[in-house]
Amino acid sequence: MLNTDIFFVEDDTDFAYIMETAVQELTEPTSLQIIDNGKEAISILHQLAEIKQKPKLILLDLNLPGISGIEILKEIRDNIYLRYVPVVLFSTSAEPKDIKLSLQFGANAYVTKPSSYLDLIICLQSFSDFWLHQNACLN
Amino acid sequence: MNEFKVDLSNCDIEPIHILGKIQSHGFLVAINNKTQVISYISENVNLLIKDKAQNYIGKTFETLEQQIDFNISGAHLTINQLVTIGSNGREPEINNPLYLEINKIPYYLIVTLSGEDKLLEFEPIDSDLKTDLNHTIGRSMSGILSAKNLDSMLQITADEIKKIINYDRVMVYKFSEEGHGKILAEAKIDILDPFLGLHYPASDIPKQARELYKRNLTRIIADVNSVDSSILALPDHQPLNLTHSNLRAVSPIHIQYLRNMGVVSSFSISLISGGELWGLIVCHNYKPRFINYKAREASKLLGQVLSSALEHRQGEEDSEIFLSYNENVNDLIDYLEKDDDVTVALTASKISLKDVTAATGVALIFEGKITTVGITPSEKQIEEIADWLKINMSETIYHTHRFPQIYLPAVNYCHSASGLLACSLSKELGEFILWFKPEQINQISWAGNPEKALEKGKDGIMQLNPRKSFESWTDIVKNTSGRWNRAEVSAVINLREHITYIIIRKANEIRRLNELLKQSAEELNIFSYTVTHDLRTPLSAIKSYSELLLINNKSIDEQAKKVLTRITACADKMALLIKEILNYSNLGKADIEVHNLEMNVMINMIKTDVLEGLQPQNIEFEIGETPSIVGDSNLINQVFTNLISNAVKYSSKSNPSKVSINGVKKGEDVIYTITDNGIGIDDKYHNLVFDLFKRMDNVKDFEGTGVGLAIVKRIMEKHNGKVWFESKLELGTKFYLSFKCPH
Repeated sequence: MLNTDIFFVEDDTDFAYIMETAVQELTEPTSLQIIDNGKEAISILHQLAEIKQKPKLILLDLNLPGISGIEILKEIRDNIYLRYVPVVLFSTSAEPKDIKLSLQFGANAYVTKPSSYLDLIICLQSFSDFWLHQNACLN
Repeated sequence: MNEFKVDLSNCDIEPIHILGKIQSHGFLVAINNKTQVISYISENVNLLIKDKAQNYIGKTFETLEQQIDFNISGAHLTINQLVTIGSNGREPEINNPLYLEINKIPYYLIVTLSGEDKLLEFEPIDSDLKTDLNHTIGRSMSGILSAKNLDSMLQITADEIKKIINYDRVMVYKFSEEGHGKILAEAKIDILDPFLGLHYPASDIPKQARELYKRNLTRIIADVNSVDSSILALPDHQPLNLTHSNLRAVSPIHIQYLRNMGVVSSFSISLISGGELWGLIVCHNYKPRFINYKAREASKLLGQVLSSALEHRQGEEDSEIFLSYNENVNDLIDYLEKDDDVTVALTASKISLKDVTAATGVALIFEGKITTVGITPSEKQIEEIADWLKINMSETIYHTHRFPQIYLPAVNYCHSASGLLACSLSKELGEFILWFKPEQINQISWAGNPEKALEKGKDGIMQLNPRKSFESWTDIVKNTSGRWNRAEVSAVINLREHITYIIIRKANEIRRLNELLKQSAEELNIFSYTVTHDLRTPLSAIKSYSELLLINNKSIDEQAKKVLTRITACADKMALLIKEILNYSNLGKADIEVHNLEMNVMINMIKTDVLEGLQPQNIEFEIGETPSIVGDSNLINQVFTNLISNAVKYSSKSNPSKVSINGVKKGEDVIYTITDNGIGIDDKYHNLVFDLFKRMDNVKDFEGTGVGLAIVKRIMEKHNGKVWFESKLELGTKFYLSFKCPH
């Protein structure tokens, strides 16, 4: 559980699998941790905070069963230790109201999931390039 | 003795029952019941006894009797004995009339009571009537009673009375609630003008005269030109009360009234219904005429028969009217049940709202629309009435028979709406039903000469004439309609109950449908969201898995590669379809933000995008004039993108493919055309082009979802613009977009 680059909350096992595969295509080796439900995600994030371990980027699926991506976002922003971790909302939907709500609660970005594997690799590569390497963090 | 002077201002308090005079065709003697002395005596007794009447005041009746040569049917009785026997002290009327002869001339003696006095009235027996009353009266009665309805009953009565007493004119006269009179039946000699249907003002018969009519049921004025005879009284005696007298003199005003009409003699019979004076049977003669007591009593009997029949008949007719209104109400309710349109149900059939009252017109103000039947004020006036009612009507039903006096603007249309019966369906919405009755004024042509100059009497009291009173009557009835009766009001109340019930029921139905609509709209939203998320997710997984296989698995053969490529293509197609549906459904919710749009820039950008996306070979793309329009930049962009990419796509097989875009300003509008020389649209599909998911059979080889043009249409509608096209199969299509110009 050490040195997670991307902490990803995603309930769809297909997409999770595709993500895991795609991450391996990245030019830099990147660690990806996927949690498939909101409740567990929050509890793990709290544990991480206690042991002072921040992921470099948190990706949140918007629509999760039970606790939604927005709820997790709120928890993160309420946590003193995790407050400044970059969070990107990652969803199939591109509804303006979803985007607005996410940004309102402090998401750093809202990205619509690419619908193709090749596009996903491109998207992850840009995540890696920007959020993991170029973006200045409080780590 | 009687100092009362009558003029216009006081004629209704003239003490006509104590005028102190009698008509001179008979004699009057009053005897005090206790003292048996003569307390009152008419001056004209001197014709009978050749001695001054005043000599007998205070004397016993025998004193007078001795002076008279009389014969009572051969019996040796004195008058005094006769009266005493007949009256038994209390009810002298029972034996009336008593036959006697004075100086060989036959007389009827009629005895009545007046206070402490017994009135002895001597009347000539010599009537102008020769008919055998006993023979005819029974037949008259059964004639009256066999009448089929009120009108014919009154007419038969008039005819029968005319036959019995043979006056020139016999009228049945009915009083309105205000006391005005109307002639409902008439029997007359041919040469006279008819008075039937004419109205008379209440002032023609003052209040105190009506009181007398109620108590003394017949009244004869033998000759308006005869000179009355004064009644002498004991000193300090009150004027004699002549309420029950047959000879009572007539008010000078009434005499003048009759004279003005050319009437010389009159006889009237009271008609009483429910204890009130219902009307009069008025008989006029144009020469002096006297009918004796027996003839008068026979007429009175017919009057009483009519009176009692009236009460019964009136009730019957009321309930008949009541029933017929309610039958019409029931018909209307049936219509309402069958027809969804309330207005049509209430106004469009043979039986309409108008038929639940005696109104001549009705207006229905419902759902912002005014519908009228019959004679009504104009729509604008009706609107104003409704506005007034909205403020001033406190109950659900309001009615008046003098609307213009309450609501002044109605003076301008009093002929159609002097009476108003308003029923509110919804005050908040200003929904009413208004029934109208016309002004009831009728021009009356008077018999005789109403214009005749006033002949002012020496005593100066002849100031009132019928013409004047007619004018005063027209003042009273101006702006007045017939009254709304109980049957009408209750029919309206009944109808209102049903209409509001049905309206509420229908409103609830609409509310229910609204609820359903809201529910399905919500479901549609949820559906759209599901489409975005839940369908897209597995779809992109399918696509991604295929791609993953293709990239990572070097060992798969060509066949498998081909299959995987097809899977990816199908997934793409489905993703496109989903995106388009979403676009379309999102249009419904989207608010448009309008700006001035520089079309040149937009169209050039679209051109670049479309050409890049579709990669057409050998295309001639032309952009003409591009006037700016007003609209939502994103949505308009979508419209042009859809149409331009269609044009490029569907002309791609022409060589060269030609697409041109041009805009013109035309008056208030800007019209853009997008023209291509492509495959065109078959005539039979012209009406389907803009429908969702409709694709033509000649576009199978082209990519598309059948949503694009539906989106175009929806966006144009949102902009209050229009889209249409001209097309020829194999030759090409020209789409038109028309936008409203900004001001």
